[in-house]
Amino acid sequence: MAGRHPNHYWKSLQERGAWVKSPAEGEEKFSELLEFAPGQFARRDFLKAAGFTFLSAVLNGCQRAPVEKAIPYLVKPEEIIPGHAYFYASTCRGCSAGCGLLVKDRDGRPIKLEGNPEHPLSKGGLCAVGQASILGLYDSRRMLHPLRDGKESAWDEVDRNITGKLEEIRKNGGAVRFLSDSIASPTTLANLNAFLGGFPNARHIVYDPLSCSAIPDAYEHTHGMRLLPRFRFDRAEVVVSLDADFLGTWISPVEYTAGYQTARKLEANPPRFSYHVQLESRMSITGSKADERIRIAPQELGLVVTQLAALLASHAPIPFPIDGIQPPAVPRQALEKVAQRLWEAKGRSLVVCGSQDVSTQVLCNFINHLLESYGATIDLKFPSHQRQGNDRELQSLLEELREGKIAALFISGVNPVYDLPEGDQLAPLLRRVPLVVSLDGKPNETIELAHYVCPNHHYLESWGDQEPVSGVVSLLQPCMRPLGNTRALLESLAAWMGTPKPAYDILRENWQAKVFPRQTKESSFQVFWDHAVHDGFVELDKTPAISAQSFATSSIHPILSAPALEKGEFALVLYPKVGILDGRHAENPWLQELPDPITKVTWDNYACLSPATAAEMRVSEGDLVRLAAGDDPKALELPVVIQPGQHDQVVAVALGYGGKTTERFAGMGPRWLQGKSTVGETGRVGVSAAPWLQLADGGLQYWRAPVKLQSTGKHLALASTQTHHRIEIPQHLATPGTERRPVIQETPLQAYLDDVRSGKQWEEKQHQDLWPQDHSYTGHRWAMVIDLNACTGCSACVIACQAENNVPVVGKDEVRRRRIMHWIRMDRYYAGDDAEVAVAHQPMLCQHCENAPCETVCPVLATVHDAEGLNQQIYNRCVGTRYCSNNCPYKVRRFNWFDYPHEDRLENLAFNPDVTVRSRGVMEKCSFCVQRIQEAKIEAKRKGEPLRDGDLQTACQQSCPAGAIVFGDKNDGNSRVSQLLRSSRRYHVLEEINVRPSIGYLKLVRHRSEGQEGERRG
Amino acid sequence: MNSLVLTVVLGVGLTFAVVFFGWSVSPRLPGNQQGYEPVQPIAYSHRLHAQELQIGCLYCHFGSEKSRHAGIPPANVCMNCHRFVIASLGAIRAEHEQADQQKRQPQTVVSPELRKLYEAMGLNQDRQPEPGRPSNPVAWVQVHKLPDFVYFDHRAHVNAGVECQRCHGPVETMERVRQVEDLSMGWCVNCHREVNQTGVAGKPVEASIDCDTCHF
Repeated sequence: MAGRHPNHYWKSLQERGAWVKSPAEGEEKFSELLEFAPGQFARRDFLKAAGFTFLSAVLNGCQRAPVEKAIPYLVKPEEIIPGHAYFYASTCRGCSAGCGLLVKDRDGRPIKLEGNPEHPLSKGGLCAVGQASILGLYDSRRMLHPLRDGKESAWDEVDRNITGKLEEIRKNGGAVRFLSDSIASPTTLANLNAFLGGFPNARHIVYDPLSCSAIPDAYEHTHGMRLLPRFRFDRAEVVVSLDADFLGTWISPVEYTAGYQTARKLEANPPRFSYHVQLESRMSITGSKADERIRIAPQELGLVVTQLAALLASHAPIPFPIDGIQPPAVPRQALEKVAQRLWEAKGRSLVVCGSQDVSTQVLCNFINHLLESYGATIDLKFPSHQRQGNDRELQSLLEELREGKIAALFISGVNPVYDLPEGDQLAPLLRRVPLVVSLDGKPNETIELAHYVCPNHHYLESWGDQEPVSGVVSLLQPCMRPLGNTRALLESLAAWMGTPKPAYDILRENWQAKVFPRQTKESSFQVFWDHAVHDGFVELDKTPAISAQSFATSSIHPILSAPALEKGEFALVLYPKVGILDGRHAENPWLQELPDPITKVTWDNYACLSPATAAEMRVSEGDLVRLAAGDDPKALELPVVIQPGQHDQVVAVALGYGGKTTERFAGMGPRWLQGKSTVGETGRVGVSAAPWLQLADGGLQYWRAPVKLQSTGKHLALASTQTHHRIEIPQHLATPGTERRPVIQETPLQAYLDDVRSGKQWEEKQHQDLWPQDHSYTGHRWAMVIDLNACTGCSACVIACQAENNVPVVGKDEVRRRRIMHWIRMDRYYAGDDAEVAVAHQPMLCQHCENAPCETVCPVLATVHDAEGLNQQIYNRCVGTRYCSNNCPYKVRRFNWFDYPHEDRLENLAFNPDVTVRSRGVMEKCSFCVQRIQEAKIEAKRKGEPLRDGDLQTACQQSCPAGAIVFGDKNDGNSRVSQLLRSSRRYHVLEEINVRPSIGYLKLVRHRSEGQEGERRG
Repeated sequence: MNSLVLTVVLGVGLTFAVVFFGWSVSPRLPGNQQGYEPVQPIAYSHRLHAQELQIGCLYCHFGSEKSRHAGIPPANVCMNCHRFVIASLGAIRAEHEQADQQKRQPQTVVSPELRKLYEAMGLNQDRQPEPGRPSNPVAWVQVHKLPDFVYFDHRAHVNAGVECQRCHGPVETMERVRQVEDLSMGWCVNCHREVNQTGVAGKPVEASIDCDTCHF
């Protein structure tokens, strides 16, 4: 089956089933029948009422336009021009990776976040979570005042009480603990250490809800130092990842994506194309990009790593006895091939492991040592500070809490009652602590238990710094005045130390004392500081921060056996989703509505099962299954999602759901007669899987076995967009020759390299055309190229577009009705059979066709073509016939079925003032960021300069961490887009229907050659 | 029952027709604000400042060259002169004459309109800044208001050489600002079509008539 149609991509299992069976049998229905409740109003009464209302509305309209006031500044800041956007460099605190940021300010407040293109780590990319984090600033449920026992208080009262209690504790020698997430800020760490130093028994305990603490623990064994290295994917020609989702959620995905793409530049001279092997249990976006993907069960990871280490050791050759090793389920031949590839690329290869088992990580270190990666693709001299969690210290803290030994507990940046496996048991323990102070501003499970809440500013309101990797120190600067009466963490600590000082002063002093001396470029601190604030970061002189010992082989313990799973038993894998991560932004509606890049489900978490397992259990998508483990009384009930490519013994459940902060989504979306609530019966979005984590073996473990699954017979409708807006024709409507449309095209690497060598370029195919080609584009001709090879499916573009263009959130029920509003969507296709699938991601947006089918059918000409190649959508002219969307073959047009609620005036501050907020009854779609095009053109005219390539970027292009989207002027032969359009890899989606889209896609390049289909590993 | 409904509908329709046509002799389209001359919070006279005193448009409305919005000047621009100029020369002379006649010291004369400006700025009676005194930005009534779905950009026009009076009329002659043109889309597009042929101030221009030039 797979061999016959290698390039036949399918989106869902029903789709695949449809063209395998005969048309009569496996007919795919357009959608499941949506319920229509009998209306309470009879139609005629409704029309009568409408008629009278209409008349009175018209009467009211016959008036002068309402009076509008124009209110200028009293004293305008000299450098501000109203209507201009000003960009300030800062650092993203959406997660702990610390990507560089450029914050777009309008009218004194941030409205959009962009990556800082000069930042050495993120290189201008910004992930979906980073883009969405601006909503956290305008969150009306944020805590804006200090609280005392849940009631609003004032800072001096709170400070007085806290310092009083701390004084007592200091006298009695009580234990003070500061529990936080990874703090990579040198200034905060310095001040925190000073604060804690004032107590005889004080400690700072760090944990990451998405912990990789086994890695530093392993380095402590092998190199004598506890550190997290910096992984240099840009220097690796062969990458082997053992269950590490480094392009999606592991440690620093934007940085790793940028590095990974550097090693895969097909347009470089000479072309570079790394080889990536992924061994994992569930389908992740990293696995979807791998050239070779091997399914393993989580309990076998240790065995596989041992086997791989033994193979590499035999290449070396050095002795590595593994007698009595249980043969892993992965065929030896596959591992031998991987080992061979790695060995051939010694010194240019990288093996990363996402396991939380220290022995496995030690073996991974050993493999990298054999491959001479240290100093080449793994940087130990300038390590990363992006994840500093120490799960062993967390365990001892929990122990101390159980014994009631803590006198004061400060909590910042973490939600342990939610995050940790025994979180519900933590609540009574915290109540016993005499002083609990929370330094967070978001109402969550942990804050409720705090005696004092001293909310920190949002990071966009803060002065601060961040050192994500040693030697790169970036700054945070406030991009607006704090919205409420919050106070910076630095200031709170200073106040409690008895030396209150503004955060800016504390930061500057620390930089003058500690950061400025680490560089030699500038001799004046003021100049250095000004440059740092302008650029957003400084790169310090390259004196190594760390000098680790050489490798200690005594620490290696091969893993020779793995627990076996019996039939009917499963391994539960808990993983973070790309949009939700550990749930710290679960209150963000943009992220909740972002379709997961692999499963395409919104607003829910679920249990992923492989197709074989689902067939065996006789469950289909949406059926509820109950997870239970041994004697554990708790059970987890979740809807099933069938995941091709997942290991048959694995059930995968996402973390981050079911938190208290999601209760706000009860009224999400338009409220109408047949609308259903976004939240489930629990009143929350999804179900929390955190209780199923385990804090064992010195680390937070993200898998457990055995668990048992049981079908409950109940069903939950999931809001999955995977079959929505399909470009394929349903089988029963297809004419001969159109059954399969080559939406995703690929080419073998060798064929592409041959094309490059022979200088072959893209050739325009001539089609029969009814329309005369008499539109001459004499000025600009906007076009876009999307490199399918570079795209990882991370969906940063989706959120960037939503932020830039005021795209509304519709809620779970509307998503189920195929009414999601994203202007750019990430289509995910599979190829192959159920077990071994190849995955392709394709960003799909308005193609701005020259022969646009939508333009010819609009009865009011609300969508017409402009002189620069854009397909325009004029909202004020649109009457809502929806004929254009009907005619669009790409199904990229979005209709506003409702006036989506925008009553939260604080949240409305995040709107882009340059883009209309569409009302009900109006069609919208990607406009190629026409507001940015107009701004760039007018500014260029004002300055009297020509518009240069690169001056203008669409929102999706600007945010993409992989640089997969390139936009520019096709009429400029030297522009990047023109160069890419000449590539032999270029093709257009649905080229054959001759709509002449302005967006060219670059074919996926696969390492294998034609005819190697049957060799897909089992 | 049916005839009652019919009567009500016809009655409402008739009322509507009467109201609509009786509104004015020449009914205008809703939203047409031609001739709009609202009372402003401070009786600022363009005739005095722009014509008599020859202050250029761009001195106050600097935004029109650099931004989409021309903007009404912030109060600190007014204060550039009105720190010193607190009343008209005539009023001061009159006060001095009276003082001479009455054999007393002349009092400081402050124009009542300028007093409004000083109060807005939060200055005290002696026109000095006083910390803690409430200030209130001046809420001007917007005269030339385009609908929200139009994104008009002043920069493009000013930098192309279109003079302010072309669209705003002879503002320098107005005591109170009045909307002279109807600012309808047809009027804008006509001008665009014209200048694509004739140019502006002798220079050729590209004034796009694509919809998304203004509607996005």
